[in-house]
Amino acid sequence: MKICILGFGAVGKGVVKVFSMKKEEVKEKYGIDLIISAVTDTSGAAISDEGLDPDLLLKVKEETGKVSNYPGYGIPGISNLEVLDKVDYDCLVEVTPTDIDDGEPAKTHILKAFNDKKDVVTSNKGPLALYFKELESSAGDNNVQFKFEASVGGAMPIINFAHETLSGNDINSVLGILNGTTNYILSRMAKEGSSYEQILKESQELGIAETNPAQDVDGLDAACKVVILANSLMNMDVSLNEVEITGISEITPEAISLAQKEGYLIKLIGEVSPDTLEVAPRLVKEGSPFAVEGTLNVATLKTDLADDVTVVGKGAGSIETASAILSDIISVSKSK
Amino acid sequence: MRLNLVLELLDIPGQLMDALEPVGRLGANIVTVIHQRDVKTERGTVPVQITIEGDEETLNKVISVLEAQKIQIMEIDGVLRKETITTILIGDIVDKDVKDALNKFKEVEGVNVVDFNLKMSEHPEKSASKFIIEAEQGKRKAVMKKIKEVGTSKGFLVINEV
Repeated sequence: MKICILGFGAVGKGVVKVFSMKKEEVKEKYGIDLIISAVTDTSGAAISDEGLDPDLLLKVKEETGKVSNYPGYGIPGISNLEVLDKVDYDCLVEVTPTDIDDGEPAKTHILKAFNDKKDVVTSNKGPLALYFKELESSAGDNNVQFKFEASVGGAMPIINFAHETLSGNDINSVLGILNGTTNYILSRMAKEGSSYEQILKESQELGIAETNPAQDVDGLDAACKVVILANSLMNMDVSLNEVEITGISEITPEAISLAQKEGYLIKLIGEVSPDTLEVAPRLVKEGSPFAVEGTLNVATLKTDLADDVTVVGKGAGSIETASAILSDIISVSKSK
Repeated sequence: MRLNLVLELLDIPGQLMDALEPVGRLGANIVTVIHQRDVKTERGTVPVQITIEGDEETLNKVISVLEAQKIQIMEIDGVLRKETITTILIGDIVDKDVKDALNKFKEVEGVNVVDFNLKMSEHPEKSASKFIIEAEQGKRKAVMKKIKEVGTSKGFLVINEV
């Protein structure tokens, strides 16, 4: 299976790393030969029909910062769209940076791949949160596969889990902690009694929160996931502006301590149900499935047959997210 | 038929007598009464378990008379009649008028604010207040919606239960 990877940031590197770790195992277990036909970054691309070496790709990126420096096969300055035209591939792995204003350039890449009759696996929340139906119907029209497990909850299985393992069930609602950064901040505030500002600063120093943490702490990232879950699991047709969003920046140690006295914790919870699309700080019982700490994500699916089913997993991280992408690639390949 | 009730009585003399009086008067029998004054709820009230016997019509009458006398029935045959909802508001309680918010919560039928706790911050706008609200079974979602609506309209950050 020939893979074209657009984007060589944290997730892209994770995917290449996982290919390096698992190539033989995937071949042996599933009979799938993972061939990297192209990898792109802002500098250009590395392209080879015979397949690029994962370890060399990582080394070149690490040492020079530019994938186009790949010996013999690097092409500086080539655009992503040109790469899609030039490269012979079966499956696009779209992992360029997420843009939640217009979903670009990922949306254009994905639609182009569909029109070229290629399958797509992505972790990119932007286009999914803004143009879900358009993308889904284009994939359907072109009779190709579209998989995006990695877009919600990183390694926490939820979309394929609901579609496959819980198939036959109606999903009536989903409630969960869908953002690892805010969970980390709130967990530490609860443990240490420190202020939001202080913990945020420390999280940034540790690299858990981004320099511009707005998307996480204001609840936007979680809201994107709410939209993806609503559209993909509950067959709704909603967009980001329909989600009621409250972030965590107003949460105080006083509020957390009042909650704890009553046996509660404060968590940023995303809720998807037919009458509610919301991201807001909520009270959860200590000792309940939602009382997870650190950067963990958790979600409870309320179903008609299986009742409540709860999944927990690492919500972020390069390798963890790549794990979800790899499983999507394998599932795409197996469906052929 | 028999009916098991759990009543919630104030810990003052005469309460149990007042609660049992309608049972006999309406023609039902008292089978058992378990009354332990030293076991109290978090609100300081005393839960009393009683089992009464009679035909369906009589038992229904007993329940409606107890309710009319404002005697709190917590459980009927193991089914809870009330549920508690905890909510935290963040914001200046004076400036944003927490008392008015409280009164508005009570406007929902069957709602009772049973506990109120306050934690002041150095910055008044960051003070936190916690409510425990009792509502009739099945009204949870509606009550939580009302709390959010009222709290938000007064400028509080409302933190409801999941």
